[in-house]
Amino acid sequence: MQTMIPHVDPLPLPGPVWLFTVLLLVVFTLHVAAMNSALGGGLWTLWNYLRGRHAEHEYSRRLAVELAGMLPTFLAFTVTLGVAALLFVQVLYGNFLYTSSIIMASTWLMVIPLVMVAYYGYYYFSYKAVEGKGIAGCVLAISVCVLLAIGFIFVNNMTLMLRPERWLEIYRAHPNGWNLNLGEATLLPRYLHIVNGSVALFSAILAQIGMSRMKQDAGYGRWLVQRAALVFAACTGLQFLLGMWLLLATPREIAMTLLRDPLTGGVFGLALVTVIAAMLLILLGSLAEKPSKLVSAGFGVSLLTLLLMVCLRYLLRMAYLKPYADLGGLQVQAQWGVIVLFVVLFVGGLGTVAYMLALVMKCCKTAVAK
Amino acid sequence: MNYPYWQLGFPGGVLIALVAVLHVFVSHFAVGGGFFLVATEARARRTNDAALLDYCKRHTKFFALLTLVFGAVSGVGIWFTIGLVSPEATSTLIHAFVWLWAIEWVFFFVEIAAAIIYAKTWETLSATEHQIIGWIYFVAAWMSLFVINGILTFMLTPGGWLEGHSLVAGFFNPTYWPSLLTRTAAAVVLAGLFAFVTLPKDGAREQVARLGAKWMVAGAVVMPVGLWWWSARLPLFSHLSLGMGVTSVTHALRGGVGFSLLALLLALVCGAWKPSWMRPPVVAVLVLCGIGMVGAGEYLREYLRKPWAVNTLVYANDMRAAEVETIKTNGVLKSAKFLPHADAASAEYGRDLFVLQCGACHAAEGYRGMSRRVDGWDAAFAADILQHIHVLRGTMPPFAGDEQDRKALGKYLAGLNPEWHLTITEANKLEMGKKVFDSRCGHCHTVNGSFRPLRGTFEKATGAQVAEVFPALGAMSSNMPDFNAPADQAEALGFYIAHEANLPLAVKPAPMQMPTGTNHSRMRRPAMPGAQASLAQEVR
Ligand code: HEC
Repeated sequence: MQTMIPHVDPLPLPGPVWLFTVLLLVVFTLHVAAMNSALGGGLWTLWNYLRGRHAEHEYSRRLAVELAGMLPTFLAFTVTLGVAALLFVQVLYGNFLYTSSIIMASTWLMVIPLVMVAYYGYYYFSYKAVEGKGIAGCVLAISVCVLLAIGFIFVNNMTLMLRPERWLEIYRAHPNGWNLNLGEATLLPRYLHIVNGSVALFSAILAQIGMSRMKQDAGYGRWLVQRAALVFAACTGLQFLLGMWLLLATPREIAMTLLRDPLTGGVFGLALVTVIAAMLLILLGSLAEKPSKLVSAGFGVSLLTLLLMVCLRYLLRMAYLKPYADLGGLQVQAQWGVIVLFVVLFVGGLGTVAYMLALVMKCCKTAVAK
Repeated sequence: MNYPYWQLGFPGGVLIALVAVLHVFVSHFAVGGGFFLVATEARARRTNDAALLDYCKRHTKFFALLTLVFGAVSGVGIWFTIGLVSPEATSTLIHAFVWLWAIEWVFFFVEIAAAIIYAKTWETLSATEHQIIGWIYFVAAWMSLFVINGILTFMLTPGGWLEGHSLVAGFFNPTYWPSLLTRTAAAVVLAGLFAFVTLPKDGAREQVARLGAKWMVAGAVVMPVGLWWWSARLPLFSHLSLGMGVTSVTHALRGGVGFSLLALLLALVCGAWKPSWMRPPVVAVLVLCGIGMVGAGEYLREYLRKPWAVNTLVYANDMRAAEVETIKTNGVLKSAKFLPHADAASAEYGRDLFVLQCGACHAAEGYRGMSRRVDGWDAAFAADILQHIHVLRGTMPPFAGDEQDRKALGKYLAGLNPEWHLTITEANKLEMGKKVFDSRCGHCHTVNGSFRPLRGTFEKATGAQVAEVFPALGAMSSNMPDFNAPADQAEALGFYIAHEANLPLAVKPAPMQMPTGTNHSRMRRPAMPGAQASLAQEVR
């Protein structure tokens, strides 16, 4: 089986493994947060747009319009951050990811036109949502469905890269690349886990947005916080069931690392604690007549949960690939000069974006004050 | 060999070209268009020109939709595509330059954020603040070109990187600056195009058209300088493939120049002189010219890099140069990890080999179709000539496989056409002789042309004398296959060569210097002198 794995690149790694790992985990967490907002946000918008067409659901309409303007930006950041994640994962696991991607190449490449469709759909909707007429709702629904399809393709590839023992058979079935990894037992639970998780995480984000709206319009803000809290709690409950399913579908020896490996087990345990904490905080905070700071704390804790889940995913990937990949044995020749340059520019880039956002915030505040 | 091979049904190079041309067009259009918008905003504010400012405001949306969605996502599309078509080459670039890519990503990130904010804050930000955002957009966009240009040019001219892997030497490689100049100029040309595409119906129409023409001309003046500088820095093998007279290259060269001149003419006439003539059909032609110009440029850039994907490291069919000898010894069956059919005796195996080693650039039929190029080959001849595939006309990597592999692929190639049964008569002898020449010799020689001409060798020989040489061809040079055509074909061939070589010629062509194409030495080693010399001796 070892011979199935393409050789690692003859050039040495241009930086230490830990650095690539940290960068990968950070950008991937941000990517997932943006993706959850684009997908979960899309589902939230769709539901409230449809509901808001009845006159008595004024708040729903308002929410749909408000979110409509954000969806394209969420997607922009999903793509941008996804590129960074793709870059770093290629350095560490390129020989696995290239192989699985080629095996399902035609399906995989469909992601590109599909993202464009979803993206233009979101933009279209953002221009038309205010009028609330015509095919805007249909376009939004198509965009959301397309995003769901993209997620499915991703889950297929991310599971296929972990399964070298299946590669040759699937490749030979269709060397033209029209493959998926449908034989994978974890495929469905893993997919549902991430879709449901998207709705959950975006609900936590919405609860936080609701908190900030309270200042301008208490009624709307409270409505938003409470709705978001309810959905968050429901999805989190469902997430436990889906997680259990995923765990049962995972090969025994991989699932056992949760018990055997202290780091993996620790991250898992901590994630369980934080997710329950987030649920309690958001629920309790939202119940009061005037939603309290607890909601914001719950929002913070759910972001922490996301980070932990991303780490757990990474540790499980290492467990899957342990028989085939030896990251510790890779040759390293760190290019420190350009690494420093990257860090400096990265900080500078973040500073520039922060500066631009500060300009926007300042003028928004003055606009509101007027 | 290392990775599975995506059998998408047509050459992977064509797919990369399609995605790349669209992306390169749109991204340069976006860099240029952004520059144009920001500069025009500044001009409108400076001159207090409300109509012009209104134009900028209204067309930011189009600009944002194009850059943020199509530009950005098609860029990711290139990422996906090269990873699927050339994983070894991609992996090489990633390992050498991942930090540069990370830096490029930082600029990309800032660029996207700035574009979103720029488009959304026309009404809310102050004039100065809004322009600051615009300039941040432009600087970030151009800087991402600055960075990616180093990686793109590295693939063709790795320069000093090859000794000691110095990042700076690889980045600021011999074609870096000319390419940056050319690309920047192209972005300015496309900025002019942006102006024409977004021409308002009223108010600022004339002004915008004139501005567009100005930008286009400015870019068009600089671009040839960049291209000339760039071509002066090309490696020898690229110059040679330019001179080889391959039709597609000639078309691309002519097309590129033609599209550019036409665009320039239209810009001057319908932009600068009579802006009222700049109607949608003219704009459509201009857009086509822009795409054609970028397409020709990208095609040539890709072509001139052949047979390499990354010069001296990875071939265009994604084979590592360092692996070729091992594969020749061990055979493909033992070296390739993902063969669709692992039975070397089967017909499918020969086809697999074709797809694996030739499929990046050839399809069986159609684009650079194989069947018309191997018409007349029998299995033995094909298996033999595969040893020399890298010295044929064209710019091909060596065939990596053992004898069994050559036989299997040879059988497949021979099977692409029906076997020849030529009826040769005195009347059609010359014509048939030419046919045999094209099939057996013409891939590496001309008689009177500049491509390894045979005239010098066979001038004054008779047909029979020429034909006497044939049985010894394989022994004469390690670069020539054995000659095994039937006797009547041999006779016709001898007749044809002798006839051509004795035609009166106005000017005797100078033989062209040819590379032998073996691995690393491709850039330096002179052509098959041994072959020429021994052939000449034999005839004397
Ligand atoms: C890097 C791309 C590339 C690869 C890989 C490649 N070729 Fe070619 N080949 C070319 C180009 C370019 C030409 C010249 C184009 C033309 O004639 O239009 C050519 C021309 C040819 C010709 C005709 C030569 C002539 O007389 O004009 C033959 C025969 C041929 N190739 C066979 C093969 C075979 C067999 C393989 C696989 C072992 C192969 N090629 C792999 C690019 C490639």
